[in-house]
Amino acid sequence: MTTNGYDAIVIGGGHNGLVTAAYLGRAGLRTVVLERRETLGGAATTTMPASGARVPTLAHTVGRLRPSVVRELDLKRHGLSLIGPDVRVFAPAPDGTAVALWSDPGRTAEGLRARSAHDADAYAAFDRLVRSLAGFLGELAARTPPDIESPGLGDAIAGLQLGRTFRGLGRRDARTITRVLPMAVADFVAESFESDALQAAIAWRGVHYTAMGPWSAGTTAVLLADSAGNDGGAAGQTVFARGGPGALAAALEAAGSAWGVEYRTGAEVGAITSRDGRATGVALVGGEELTARAVVAGIDPKRALSRLADPVAIGPSLLWRAANIRTPGTVAKVNLVLNGTPRFTAAGSEESVIHGRILLAPGIDPLERAHDAAKYGRWSAPPVLEATIPSLVDPSLVEGAAPGTQVMSVIAQSTPYALRDGTWDGRREAFGDLVVSTLDAYAPGLAGMITARQVLTPLDLERDYGLTGGHPMHGEHGLDQWFLWRPLLGHARYRLALDGLYLAGAGAHPGGGVSGQNGQNAAREILSDWKKRRR
Amino acid sequence: MARSYDAIIIGGGHNGLISAAYLARAGLTTLVLEKRHVLGGAAVTEEIFPGFRFSVFSYVVSLLRPEIIRDLQLPRHGLDILPLDGTFTPLRPGEGPAAGGGDYLWRVNDHGRTIRELRRWSAADAEAYEEYGQLMVEMARFIKPILAITPPDPTSNDPRPLMPLAGLARRFQQLPQRQQAVFVQLMTMSASDFLDQWFETKPLKATMSASGIIGTYQGVKSPGTAYVLLHHYMGEIDGAFRAWGIPKGGTGGISNAIGDAARALGAEIRTEAPVARIIVKGGRATGVVLESGEEIEASSILSSLDTRLTFLSLLEPGILDPSFEEEIRRFKFRGSSGKVNLAVDRLPDFTCLPGEGEHLRGAVSFSPSVEEMEQAYDDAKYGRFSRRPYVDMIIPTLVDPSMAPPGKHVISCFVQYAPYKLAPELGTWDDQREAFGDAVIDRIAEFAPNIRDVILHRNVQTPLDIERTTGLSEGNIFQGELSLEQLFFNRPVPGYARFRTPVRDLWLCGSATHPGGGIMGANGRIAALEVLKARGRRAA
Repeated sequence: MTTNGYDAIVIGGGHNGLVTAAYLGRAGLRTVVLERRETLGGAATTTMPASGARVPTLAHTVGRLRPSVVRELDLKRHGLSLIGPDVRVFAPAPDGTAVALWSDPGRTAEGLRARSAHDADAYAAFDRLVRSLAGFLGELAARTPPDIESPGLGDAIAGLQLGRTFRGLGRRDARTITRVLPMAVADFVAESFESDALQAAIAWRGVHYTAMGPWSAGTTAVLLADSAGNDGGAAGQTVFARGGPGALAAALEAAGSAWGVEYRTGAEVGAITSRDGRATGVALVGGEELTARAVVAGIDPKRALSRLADPVAIGPSLLWRAANIRTPGTVAKVNLVLNGTPRFTAAGSEESVIHGRILLAPGIDPLERAHDAAKYGRWSAPPVLEATIPSLVDPSLVEGAAPGTQVMSVIAQSTPYALRDGTWDGRREAFGDLVVSTLDAYAPGLAGMITARQVLTPLDLERDYGLTGGHPMHGEHGLDQWFLWRPLLGHARYRLALDGLYLAGAGAHPGGGVSGQNGQNAAREILSDWKKRRR
Repeated sequence: MARSYDAIIIGGGHNGLISAAYLARAGLTTLVLEKRHVLGGAAVTEEIFPGFRFSVFSYVVSLLRPEIIRDLQLPRHGLDILPLDGTFTPLRPGEGPAAGGGDYLWRVNDHGRTIRELRRWSAADAEAYEEYGQLMVEMARFIKPILAITPPDPTSNDPRPLMPLAGLARRFQQLPQRQQAVFVQLMTMSASDFLDQWFETKPLKATMSASGIIGTYQGVKSPGTAYVLLHHYMGEIDGAFRAWGIPKGGTGGISNAIGDAARALGAEIRTEAPVARIIVKGGRATGVVLESGEEIEASSILSSLDTRLTFLSLLEPGILDPSFEEEIRRFKFRGSSGKVNLAVDRLPDFTCLPGEGEHLRGAVSFSPSVEEMEQAYDDAKYGRFSRRPYVDMIIPTLVDPSMAPPGKHVISCFVQYAPYKLAPELGTWDDQREAFGDAVIDRIAEFAPNIRDVILHRNVQTPLDIERTTGLSEGNIFQGELSLEQLFFNRPVPGYARFRTPVRDLWLCGSATHPGGGIMGANGRIAALEVLKARGRRAA
């Protein structure tokens, strides 16, 4: 059976797919989103591991969301409400001391003074430097990478604009950015700070979700990209969506629905159909075929090209390249429901200090050693963890639960997809136990508060969420998969391999994270092609 | 009254000598000042033990620019490069497809033989090797011109220096898309990830990836190490010239040939003439003061020393702008390699291929797997020398018997990793020198157990020793880490990649500049040409 008449089909209802769909709907295209799972949102979703308690399933913060996406899609009117606690990061050390990074750089600097006067004095300048460099990357993120094959007038203008932005950095910062982008983040933070704990609290964002350690080249680019286009600065963003990340998906769905976008869950795409080098639609796993003039992949590009597209249409050379897109997943997730608020030894009496991201990465060496373990297919003990307790600032998450209930969302880094010994199915709970005991060492008694636990391994991320290799960023954030060559050189302009096939997900420039930027950029390119074809 | 020259070159390493030769050839009165009694810097031959001569530091030549050999007529001045054939990777019992006593991977210049050898390991790899080789030659052809250009400043408003880059961009556009993509990967990927795309054979990947980490403080899995894989193919496109080999008489043979060429062109060379200070008057470098107190004037001063020595030791404080000085202090050296020189009374005997054969006439690479290569780096990251290091062994006496008494041999072992900065609990390199030497011998003994019985003398060069003898800061053999942020227009300092320095008439001409280290000579040549251009003369 063939259903005709869609202008655009979006494969995958992750946040970027939803953003693209909403933009297309807003422009009047008849658009349908096909989601394999029963809920929309992809990695931006909320689940309920215990009665009445809801927890961010994968991603736990949404602070990278581009303000223009929120504004243009009117997401606030559609129910999106953001919460930004004053504290961004609380990074306790085993010795009971802690580094705290606040929204206010001045407050951060004062807190650092007891540890190092040098670092306290250097913090404001470092924050400004990060904001300046990240500002440039934010501009870059909002642009479509230029066409190098047959550059047109538009590309020349874009190049000039980019050149102007680059020079707008000023000569000193322009030189700095060419120098620091390919640098190891451990070196970058050491240029400003002497305290190992502070270095690690910042460098963490240079390695999170990657298969790299802080001594790997290019991790400074990852750090700066994380602050690009948002208010992160040196501390990084810590913004929650009220109701959990799933609330973002709900707002995007509401926005799209208002413009007529259709959403089908439980609808798994088995193949992208094409004829004469042009995408014509999709075939669902059940056999149903849908046709459309534009097919948009919100899923990762490796899956789209290697598994869904017709290999004959793609050709052996591009297939080889697609198969070599690097997706070394290294992130696991542990979600906990607690019957009380954990007390971190290093927090002392300051309760609000745990309202942001709680980072257990007490030094550059521990970050690097965790990565060492992952390189050889082992998880590190102790693991590097980033936890949040969003119910502390968003009680709606535990509204129906017993009084005092809290939910804790824990991202475990350097957790390799391919284990050297055993399988994730056999070792899932052993890993969960390790995460809990690690947390308990910093917050004694936490283990005893747990009433429900959910462990999602990289294998689960692949099986349940369709992320190839369990990589939440749809492709490693390495210098080899960046900007003009993300996901592949010649396919970085949101047009992927076939006429009428587009890439809107994290596998495209500017990469992963809940920013909506990829979806926004892709929609712009799709609509530009759409208008040309109309003419 | 001080003597006066057109140009003084500080340091008689190979780059300094090449600069001198080019300047003298253009008719400039030129003086080279070398601190030691021998010429060559890190490319020296010395008789460390009676009758046994060693290439003490740098031990092979791979990339000496053919135009330099031609321009300076180096063969006429005694340059004779003896080819090294092949790379032999020994394995331990139980490893590899052969049963019993262990196996090996042996690649030689004879392509057909190498393919047959690889087929023994993996039919897929043998097939991929052909395709990979062709692709790399194409890539090398594309990249080669970059080695010969003066890097532009991307933040400059003057478009002229950007022109060579525009030409490069045009040629890039003309490449097929797959080659474009592979080029980008070479610039950004780790050697290990890059090779994973083609190969599965462990010792093949490990041995190939080893070339990506030589002289760097990086591992084979570190992003940015793939690029050096190309260097192996650069020689190939230079045609008949044998690009990879050992100079007759050791690497000092190259230095002496270049020195003789420079003298023949009219340059004056003084050894045991250490420079104490560069004289700066009114913002211009006008001469040097030797440690002896002697003053010598010149209108151009070229330093082939690294940036730390040039700017922080030889200039008086206060001359440099503080922000420039900050960049110089920030520049990373991080020497990571050591050298063990052995005098032996017979050859090592490998368990996997016993006896004295052709396999010993090339390089012997102790690189059984990528994992062991990476573990060697893991040790270094935390301030330890590798417990099981990567060793690149050459036995020069098999191709040049003049280096040792009859029947005896010298063995050169390049070793990684040996971080300059040791973890505090290890003390200093003076405490750890022999322990490091022992670790190297233990590593070799895993594959050739008789090594301990054949050693007559052992000379261990730690990064600290390299620094003390040659002056190379932190023992970095490339005058500064070849990490991505310290290459091309950022080498050595953003805004000063064009051989010029903030001090007028003071130039850099050593490995600290683009295109970096190795016995390539490109730095010395391009620097001399820039000096001549600035002086308004052409190379004769």
